[in-house]
Amino acid sequence: MLLAVFFVFAAAPDSQAAKQIGVILTGDVPYYRAMHETFVAELHKRFTGAEKIEIIVQKPFPDPISWSNAARKLIAFDVDLIVSYGSPATQAVLQEKSNIPILYVGLYEPDQAVVTGKNVTGCGFKLPLSSIIRYFRHLKPVNTLGIVFTSAEEDSVRQYKTMAALAAQQNIKTEKIDIGSYADLSKLKTGNTDAVFITGSSLAHLWLKDIVSILKKRRIPTADIFPDDEESGGLINLFHPPLPQGKMAAEMAAQILLNKKIDSIPPYTSRDTELVYNLVEARQLGITIPIDQLIEASRVIK
Amino acid sequence: MSRHSFPAFRFLQRLVACLLICLSTAIALPVFAAEQPTELLIGIEPEHNIFDQMQRYRYLASYLSDQLGVKVTLTIMSRYGEVIKRFKSRKLDGAFLTSYTASMGIKDLNLEPIANPVNLNGEFTSQGYLFVRKDSEIRTVQDMAGKRIIFVDPATMEGYLFPLAYLEQHGIRNINKFFTRFDFSGSDASSIFAVLDGRADIGSAKNTVFNNLIHNDPSIRQELDILAQSPRIPEITLCIRNEIDLYLQAKLVNVLLQMDKTAQGRKVLEQFKALRFVKSKKTDFAVIEEMAQDARAAIAEHGK
Repeated sequence: MLLAVFFVFAAAPDSQAAKQIGVILTGDVPYYRAMHETFVAELHKRFTGAEKIEIIVQKPFPDPISWSNAARKLIAFDVDLIVSYGSPATQAVLQEKSNIPILYVGLYEPDQAVVTGKNVTGCGFKLPLSSIIRYFRHLKPVNTLGIVFTSAEEDSVRQYKTMAALAAQQNIKTEKIDIGSYADLSKLKTGNTDAVFITGSSLAHLWLKDIVSILKKRRIPTADIFPDDEESGGLINLFHPPLPQGKMAAEMAAQILLNKKIDSIPPYTSRDTELVYNLVEARQLGITIPIDQLIEASRVIK
Repeated sequence: MSRHSFPAFRFLQRLVACLLICLSTAIALPVFAAEQPTELLIGIEPEHNIFDQMQRYRYLASYLSDQLGVKVTLTIMSRYGEVIKRFKSRKLDGAFLTSYTASMGIKDLNLEPIANPVNLNGEFTSQGYLFVRKDSEIRTVQDMAGKRIIFVDPATMEGYLFPLAYLEQHGIRNINKFFTRFDFSGSDASSIFAVLDGRADIGSAKNTVFNNLIHNDPSIRQELDILAQSPRIPEITLCIRNEIDLYLQAKLVNVLLQMDKTAQGRKVLEQFKALRFVKSKKTDFAVIEEMAQDARAAIAEHGK
């Protein structure tokens, strides 16, 4: 009898137990890392009481098997919430069809991504890729635009398609540069591109310094939709700032952890952007950025 | 004996006549003694690219110097506050002013509007646009709630007064509460780029800059929707101090209005990027005062 009572108490949920959040941070890309750091800081501000938050972070290499393995591990841990950064990681979790709530963060144009479900919400951003063509054209004639993307990454493919369509409207030819492995970087050594646009491919951002370095030797300027916090040497960065994204994600996560129904938390899409010009790179590439363009920048790297 | 033949009276009569002549001369004196400067200092309000702007105005200043026989010097100004200060301290004889600043200068400083340049599209007026990105889902004033708006400068009709008056007409007075953020871009082009890039959801700017950007890059038109337009008002007006010698004022007006009649004048106009100058009227600015009445409450509300 005593033993039975003991087992009942032992099995009962502990009201002081920590909430567990599983996180998939693809390839430890600095952009997603910046969002995640804000997310963690903001979340801890919201749970300063007795209830603790335990965060389990998975940093899979950007490929389908690694994303899938990371998702499965978190489901096996039976976490209270899975937070996934970017589209491929989110889709990997969705494919596992668990009942754990999913919060996506830093998703490019979420309304265009297939990330729906009764257990899913999140925040993302819209970015006018046409501005990148405009800024390139203010700096030099662009007849052919190279687009670095990864065919295994859904958001990167959408960005490629959008940019190719925009370029076609302006009679600019495009050159596909699909990066699926490090060996693919050799594709950057040939071709007749006047400028290169780097999509939000996680794989490309793992090797961003090498990509920019190859193109720099050929005096080809680059524009990226992720910030260049590690100063890899891109010329233009037009991106959604990571801090508000991390804050919004923390707000949503807090609501989910406090048992608010996930389907009552609407997805959020931000349109805020920042523009950074790298003057050091411009000088090395022999490009003069006109003053009326420089004043548009949120920041200029000198 | 007639009073008129009295010698003392005749002396008095001559004295009065003499005094009257002196008095009338003295009264007339200020007219002839109005300031006849050896130099005219003309202010310019900065545009998006001040280097290009200064170059254009330099051609005009040089031409005016030759034609007037008075050295015309240019100075770039910052904002309306500086215009007032410099006109008051008489360190400015005239200025090429945008519509709102001109309207305030005419009202507060009794400046005389004398001429407007006609741009290369044959227009001397401009109007304000309120615009959004086409893919923004903002179509009405109600849709603007909780969004970010970007104005140009508090001293602009197209970029500030008009949007405030428009919002007021639609029941929005407290823009601090209605929008999540409002900023001033400093130039019309910057407002347009801010909306194109997503740094703001709603923007205001003058149509001439808007149309010029589209002329250079037609893709911009496909991305932006104009939700509201202000009435047309002279875009740039040369206003001068009333105290300046009337003869010089008349000569200045004449030189500007006749510029397109001579080969030399047309060459300078081409460099200045204008077709000709037209005569300006104070009544052109009445609509700004109406807009200011509408916007006054909103300005008082958020303290700008």
